[in-house]
Amino acid sequence: MQNEDVWIKRYQIPTLKNPVAIVGSPGLRSIGKLVVDNLVDQTKATLVADLYSTHLPSIYETQPSYAAHPSMPGEAGAVVESGKVDLPKVQFYASAEFSVIFVRGYHPNFEGQYLVAQNVVDFLAEMGVQRMVVVAGFGTKDKKIVCAANNPKSIEDMKTRFDVGLGYKGPFMGFSGLVFGMAKLRGIEAVCLFAGTEPVEENLEFPDAEASGRAVELLNRMLSLKK
Amino acid sequence: MNSEIKVIKQIAPTDLVLICGLPGAAYIGKLSIDYLVQQLKAEPIGEIYSRFFPPYVIIKEDGLVELMRNELHYVRDATGKDIVFLSGSAQAFSPEGQYEITEKVLDWAIEKGLKRVYSVAALVTDRDFEAPNVFATATSTPLLEEAKSHGAQVLDHGIIGGENGLIMGLARKKGIDGICLLAETHGYQTPTGEYVIDPRASKAALNVLTQFLGIKVDMELMDKQVAQMDEAIAKMAEIERRVRDEMTQSGKRPSYVT
Repeated sequence: MQNEDVWIKRYQIPTLKNPVAIVGSPGLRSIGKLVVDNLVDQTKATLVADLYSTHLPSIYETQPSYAAHPSMPGEAGAVVESGKVDLPKVQFYASAEFSVIFVRGYHPNFEGQYLVAQNVVDFLAEMGVQRMVVVAGFGTKDKKIVCAANNPKSIEDMKTRFDVGLGYKGPFMGFSGLVFGMAKLRGIEAVCLFAGTEPVEENLEFPDAEASGRAVELLNRMLSLKK
Repeated sequence: MNSEIKVIKQIAPTDLVLICGLPGAAYIGKLSIDYLVQQLKAEPIGEIYSRFFPPYVIIKEDGLVELMRNELHYVRDATGKDIVFLSGSAQAFSPEGQYEITEKVLDWAIEKGLKRVYSVAALVTDRDFEAPNVFATATSTPLLEEAKSHGAQVLDHGIIGGENGLIMGLARKKGIDGICLLAETHGYQTPTGEYVIDPRASKAALNVLTQFLGIKVDMELMDKQVAQMDEAIAKMAEIERRVRDEMTQSGKRPSYVT
């Protein structure tokens, strides 16, 4: 479903065979976003689509950005990167060589959380995605990665094939949480990797390169993303 | 998606009864309806998803992720009565969403031949009571008389916030019989503002509701929950008493007072 609150600009979309989606956003210590950035570079993936929404603020009133609040919608505006101006957006990159689609998320405000997540999941389903790996952080002193999934088989697989067990329970907020939750409604098998990171109280989005490196290493093993 | 009912299994009821207990004060409605679903072995027939639910997911103990949702369960009881239960993990966060979801469920049930709606909710009070009273409000006087005959008192006036109340107002608008049962509770909350469950109040509400339905339900598990909660509350009260005694005996002030 698409409406005037969300629109997608599509570019050159390569033909992908059974693509796997890797989703990350600037959540706890930006681990998911860093993983996507690193793997887009590593696989030389190209930009295939941008998703825009009136519910993506340029300035958040909440701290951190993913702690959406109904009475704090943020402020609309533009984002400037490398001298170029554009609207806030969710970006999709694809690598035909590895048959992977990367989603660099962006946190909507409270009102748009479900709408944006649904449009992301719908677009991925339209691209033929049947498997998804979401990457996020969770607060702990342990430098480990734990997982969750939307089906028992994926949890079992992560344990037996990659020695990754369970370890986080509780709420999962923000862009990546809802995309992960809504995947099942579109028949997409989804796993989430939570990389342990020690939260920095002054700035929960302060990047953790070490934790994202651990997640990249695991994803390389899971999806053979290196030549 | 605004809100959608994902039907898991089609049903063909004759005279349908809908019973609603969504999470609210002291979780009385949810606890009551979840208990009936479990005891009557009602089967899941639908899930309701909505953009009006709180925007996060829950990772459960078993590692599986779950969206906030409402659930519909169905049972045909021993007397042949068709009952659908409405419960779930959340209520919509805004009046707009609460209207949309409640209306959607009611319209779906009306299409299936809905004859009567019940809801279970809390009546939060400061009043001391030995056992929680159950109050009733209904869409007609004969239903109130029936409620009285099952041991409920008539709620003279008040407000029933949330979907457990709204469903009564909308039932009346649509010409469907409705009875809301409100069990008394003190509505204790944790320091983080979350309600503590009140199984004693749920049991009181279920006592009236099961009489309305003409069914018998084994209350052993609910009694165990009541005993566990009594024990937990007694412990909390004892800790509170000790802190108060220490403060008054030694002239100490709590450390957070500066």
